[in-house]
Amino acid sequence: MSEHATAETAAPETTPDPAPPRRRFAPRNLWQTIGPIAVFVVFFVIIGILQPDFVGGGGLGILAIQATSILLVALGQAMVLHVGSLDLSNAALAIFAAILLALMLGPLGAVAPVLCLLVVTAIGAINGLLVAYTQVPSFALTLGTLGIVQAASLVVSGATTVYVTDNAAVLEPLFGTALAGLPAAFWLAVILAALLWFLLRRTSVGQAMTAVGLNESGAIFAGIRTRWIKVLAFALSGLLAGVAGIMIIAQAGAASSFGLGSDLLLPGIAAAIVGGTAITGGATNPLNVIFGALTITLIPIGAATLGVPPQAQSLVYGLVIIIAVALTRSRASGEIVK
Amino acid sequence: MSPIKAGSSAGTTPAEAAPAATPSLAKRLRFDVKSAGELGAFVVLIVVFAILNPSTFLTAKNIQTILNQSAIPLIIAVGATLVILMGSIDLSVEGVMGAAGMTFVLMSANSRGGTGYGVVVALIVAVAVGMVLGLVSGLIHTRLRVPSFIVTLGVWYVGLGIATLLFGTEQIPFLTSDSLKAWPTSLTLGLPNSFWLAVLLVLAGAAVGRYTRLARWTYAIGNNEQIALGNGIPVARVKVINFVGAAGCSAFAGVLASIQIGAGSATVGVGSLFLTIAAVVIGGTALSGGKGGILRSALGVLLLTTLNNGLILSGVSPNIQSGVSGVVLIAAIIAAAWPYRGRLRVSK
Amino acid sequence: MSAELSTATTSAAPTMKLTGIGKTFARVQAVKDISMEIRQGEVIGLIGENGAGKSTLLKILTGLHQPDTGVMEVNGKEVTFRRPQDATAAGIGVVHQEQALFTNLSVAENIAMNGSGVKDQGTRFGIFRWRILNQEAAETLARVHAKVDPRAIVGDLSFVDRQMVEIARALRVDEMVHASPLVILDEPTSVLERDETEVLEREIRDLKKIGSVIFVSHRLDEVLRICDRVVVMRAGEIVAERATADVTEDELFALMIGHNERAEVHSRDREGAKPAPILEVEGLRRDHAFHDVSFALVPGHILTIVGTNGSGRESVCRAIFGAEPYDGGVLRVGGEEVRSWSMSKAVRSGMAYVPSERRVEGMIGGMDAAENLTLVHPGAARSGPLLRKRARAKIAAEWFERLDVRPRDPALDLARFSGGNQQKVVMAKWLQSADLKILVLDHPLRGLDPGAAETVNRQIRAACDQGTAVLLLADTLEEALHMSDEILVMRDGEVTARFDLSVEAPTAIDLLGKMV
Repeated sequence: MSEHATAETAAPETTPDPAPPRRRFAPRNLWQTIGPIAVFVVFFVIIGILQPDFVGGGGLGILAIQATSILLVALGQAMVLHVGSLDLSNAALAIFAAILLALMLGPLGAVAPVLCLLVVTAIGAINGLLVAYTQVPSFALTLGTLGIVQAASLVVSGATTVYVTDNAAVLEPLFGTALAGLPAAFWLAVILAALLWFLLRRTSVGQAMTAVGLNESGAIFAGIRTRWIKVLAFALSGLLAGVAGIMIIAQAGAASSFGLGSDLLLPGIAAAIVGGTAITGGATNPLNVIFGALTITLIPIGAATLGVPPQAQSLVYGLVIIIAVALTRSRASGEIVK
Repeated sequence: MSPIKAGSSAGTTPAEAAPAATPSLAKRLRFDVKSAGELGAFVVLIVVFAILNPSTFLTAKNIQTILNQSAIPLIIAVGATLVILMGSIDLSVEGVMGAAGMTFVLMSANSRGGTGYGVVVALIVAVAVGMVLGLVSGLIHTRLRVPSFIVTLGVWYVGLGIATLLFGTEQIPFLTSDSLKAWPTSLTLGLPNSFWLAVLLVLAGAAVGRYTRLARWTYAIGNNEQIALGNGIPVARVKVINFVGAAGCSAFAGVLASIQIGAGSATVGVGSLFLTIAAVVIGGTALSGGKGGILRSALGVLLLTTLNNGLILSGVSPNIQSGVSGVVLIAAIIAAAWPYRGRLRVSK
Repeated sequence: MSAELSTATTSAAPTMKLTGIGKTFARVQAVKDISMEIRQGEVIGLIGENGAGKSTLLKILTGLHQPDTGVMEVNGKEVTFRRPQDATAAGIGVVHQEQALFTNLSVAENIAMNGSGVKDQGTRFGIFRWRILNQEAAETLARVHAKVDPRAIVGDLSFVDRQMVEIARALRVDEMVHASPLVILDEPTSVLERDETEVLEREIRDLKKIGSVIFVSHRLDEVLRICDRVVVMRAGEIVAERATADVTEDELFALMIGHNERAEVHSRDREGAKPAPILEVEGLRRDHAFHDVSFALVPGHILTIVGTNGSGRESVCRAIFGAEPYDGGVLRVGGEEVRSWSMSKAVRSGMAYVPSERRVEGMIGGMDAAENLTLVHPGAARSGPLLRKRARAKIAAEWFERLDVRPRDPALDLARFSGGNQQKVVMAKWLQSADLKILVLDHPLRGLDPGAAETVNRQIRAACDQGTAVLLLADTLEEALHMSDEILVMRDGEVTARFDLSVEAPTAIDLLGKMV
């Protein structure tokens, strides 16, 4: 391109110069930190008051079982959102992994889950490589990948349900054992969330990811290898989708393109965002995503418990998503929302 | 062009007669290499399938089928393009289609009884329902500052919910008017009515895009919303209008789809979102906003429907279809982005 | 000196009059007790350091902020601007520092979308009438002598052409509103080179005949040349008003910063033989940008490249850092030729680059200052893959102290600091390096107030003393002459002159002669 003649010079003051310093715990930041937890607790309490049997009858446990897959998909999405991209294919990858696992678990035993994870992580990495090197928008690219992976699932499963033939015991402890009333699978997801939190807040790789999400140009000029960061984010998304796929099999013993877990995409995204993840990037708290996932899972369960007719459940789902996000979003003034 | 008037200055430099930066003829026609590429791809596609299926592809019947199948995505694409040009996205398409379609069927003569209120009234009410949903999306997005992705995601479910509620617990409402059900595929001048309807809307949309201030503001907002705000462009109003318009188009499409299946179904729109967005992107409208147009999206729709049709005729398993669309989409966007690659380019 | 005063002052009331204007944000007063008037046909210069309140005052004048106290009058009538459109409707047009054009629309559309809210012939019932639109745009463009086709897409225009379109647009506002127009030019010359500035000066002289101008700039020489009067702001207040005929640059400088300090010409004595070059460029070429560029950077020396717009010097620097590619020639870092150069490689080889587009390329807004500071060279703030927050805070506090960054709070989002303070943090980020071999500076003082500029210059010299080689793109010739050990002059992509300042002392004229 031609001469680098820039228009931007320092505006003498980006804000009035002696602005009162915004500390880490200013009210707005506090809300963003606690918002998702507060929203979940409020919903849970409301349902608990209106329907005490829910809590008494192990409601939280049921919630945790169903929330596990959504949480994992949401965590993967949160990683990609953190670097400013979007992964529309990760739910499809979860189903694909589940189908592969159903086919492989019998013949291959304990090795099968590992292989499945490798496959979908690799596909995630390919997503990342394409986004990083061809510089195409991730929305469009992962939309394409979504179609391809869906087709692959249909072909591999023969457009029917695939059942695990043997070795189901390998995965049994995930939903078979419980800790404080919640299944081990859920706790595994929580541990993964904690590890991701640590990655983002306490490691230089995480700091680089944050930089890429906030200002990719600035990150490039700081010498950060932004392409690899993106590959990492998408690979993590694939990996977590794979774990979600394992959970699906552990729960249901079977997988199909239309059955359990086949519509995790939108709940996953909603859970990430209700969990305080900014769509623009650079602001993600994996621990809050846990509560985002619990909230999203709670909506249909709560609605059913409260006797909302099944016809109206979609309605409730949509309304609550909007409300929850409207409440938990950060609202820096002057910010452009697209 | 009228002659350029000399400035009112003391005339230290004579007013130039020939402007230095004249856009070339190609630019003035707003027709660039990319569109030529897509047009070319379309032609190639037709030729390939014609060769592969000489007896079935280029028949009048098949062409009518293709055009009929493109009608709904074409209509949706008109509204979707305007929203995407702003840099936003409308995911509520399928929900609005369901709600509007169900409204239309229930307000027409159907198997649950009653003679209905006539096609025109039912249509108006159905589109109004859609537009109200669009208004909700627009207002929540602009007033509560919720990203369009989330709002329209929510309205998607809300629309589905409304459709399901209207459906209630009775049996499926079937349209009883045979003439109505036959209308979309009936031919006028050799092409299906549904297609003519779509053409009408596409041309209207394209005219809006080129000549109305609203549309130029839309392009401006997609290019740089901050500047648009500073310029006094009523950004919020433009956004709301575009969301209402997009929902109106989705509602229209939902009505057409319901007529085609002859019944009221909340899931009448399933699959439309993927197809439409893929088509808009393949057609060259950037998801980041500010670039593209309705005619481009229309080309993208025709490309995809022709592709799907050709594949089916060639005996490709329907399972692979979404995969093929995915590959085409990826190829198209890589081809579009390739010339602009640079180590400093940031693409999200 | 100042141009002739307009004789067309027929209206008794001044175009704009401010009385006692004040504005407070939170508990801090950004501007206080501002009283001034601008008459028809006057060009007023507005100067002051960063943080003096100029920006806030401009925002009040253009309707982006409402004053808390005081009265604004336009043509004798009291006005209140609640939104920018109100100011535009009153005849106030502004050309911003950052360009405010839509790159995907045509010139005519941009000129028409000027926010005046006035219905013109080009739009009827919300429908565009292209022929009329283009015609009106062409007329306005002709008035500013801009050689631009109204149908051209702004994204395809050069930067200078876009600036002209901006001015045309501001003018169009005034034409449409038929008010006695007031055009505010906010640092219009910061990014223009000498010949373009002359075009602008002609422009402003033309504007005087129909209205008045407020000219905001850091370039005191231009202010004295172009304006009739100068208003000096400091710490939110107007501290002085002078007719430009009655004041010198030094006096203005003193009024701006409140004390009479000016950087001395820095003479550098160097003993011993010159060390081996750390960076060599041989026959470097980039199509359509520069060709046949050769020079060597020696540790502890400052090499400055001067040139006008289009000289290619920015591209050379960016190619050296790996931000832009090059098509031919050899680049050698540390004696070794580089292959498939990239920014991350450049950084790892000890290079640093302070870009001119600070907000986009130089820093990460949204991250606090301490994180920005330790982003590239964390030093003690990182051990292995882990970050150490306490060490980071300590390092940041030290730098804040050393560079006098205000406010003294490294935990604050860097985007909230003023430009000068941001630049100090950006410098610190690179100076953090334990082994800073090459420092490339692209207009580092652009937009900085004299205090911050002096701090930055001091840091550059300190780095030099420690053995860093510096490649500098200076904003002004004075800067080049004061700071450099060697000066390269570039014009139209090639090197036209070389001056070794240990051997000869060129004057500004010598440099200019080779630049244009």
